[in-house]
Amino acid sequence: MAQRSTQRALSWYLQRITGVFLLVFALGHYLMVHWTESSGHTFDATVARLQNPIYVFLYLGFVLLGFYHGLQGIWNIIRDFKLPKAVYTLSAIVLFLLGAYFVYLGFDTVLSVESWMNKP
Amino acid sequence: MAYQQKGSSVSRWFFNLRSYKPHAGEWAWLLHRITGIGLTVYLFLHISTLRTLTQGEAAYNATAATFLSPIFKFFEWALFSLVVFHSFNGLRIVLVDFAGASRYHKIMLRAIYAISLLLMIFMAYLIFGNPFEVSELDSLTLWQWVQQLVG
Ligand code: HEM
Ligand code: HEM
Repeated sequence: MAQRSTQRALSWYLQRITGVFLLVFALGHYLMVHWTESSGHTFDATVARLQNPIYVFLYLGFVLLGFYHGLQGIWNIIRDFKLPKAVYTLSAIVLFLLGAYFVYLGFDTVLSVESWMNKP
Repeated sequence: MAYQQKGSSVSRWFFNLRSYKPHAGEWAWLLHRITGIGLTVYLFLHISTLRTLTQGEAAYNATAATFLSPIFKFFEWALFSLVVFHSFNGLRIVLVDFAGASRYHKIMLRAIYAISLLLMIFMAYLIFGNPFEVSELDSLTLWQWVQQLVG
């Protein structure tokens, strides 16, 4: 039991720490992509930003922490309900696989910029 | 107050939710959940649509064009309310938990609603007013704008 409560405490801390990072990311991102109509919605603006390794690095962090924080949050909500054990196990597996796949997609999109930036 | 003892935990949860009048902090808790779920769902959609970047400019612009229609502009603005509330309320939770700020939690809550409202108005100005638009290509990114301010 002690094991379990330490794990909970760790995820409780991580939820808060990742939340503080996301505060900066999410607000900054939202302001940036809406600063002008084209700053968030054109191919060229995106390609231009992705030339900058700092942006790439920030996006990798944003994807990773966003999915970690969001799915950990959903998992906490699920655990608030008294459900059969099989449902917990199944939802943990589904959340983890979904998260892993979408983190992979997000990473691949920004990391493969060289391969798609010149496609018409 | 009536308590429902029977039924699944899900139906009991909703029953309890309906059976009391939430106080300020409880509204905030519920809103934090709803906005958190909404943002997570949005993140999945967002990563999927950004995937069209890898198919090239034409495919991506076709997708992005949808988001420039008035109704999507409204959705984008509405989505910002989730971001703003969840972010600042999350910060409030962190301050209460780590900085012992529980004494101030109600006033912080009022500040959050006020800040959210102001930022919502500012975002409406950016999204619907489009004040800094120069032309499609030589508009400034925020980063360039900051550089101009500094330099
Ligand atoms: C932007 C800055 C953010 C901050 C400061 C923040 C903060 C927090 C905190 C502290 C919690 C824990 C609440 C609790 O345990 O009572 C939380 C929960 C949650 N957050 Fe965030 N978060 C942020 C962004 C996001 C984003 C971008 C997403 C979506 C990807 C998200 C999704 C969630 C979810 C689903 C929960 C679970 C809600 C619950 O347990 O009731 N958050 N957030
Ligand atoms: C409607 C508002 C939004 C617009 C128009 C928008 C637009 C964009 C664009 C164009 C990119 C590509 C990178 C770039 O151009 O610099 C991007 C990346 C990203 N956005 Fe958003 N965004 C919005 C809201 C959000 C929100 C609320 C979140 C968090 C829940 C988010 C999370 C991300 C992440 C994680 C990336 C990196 C994607 C990757 O690495 O593949 N965005 N966004």
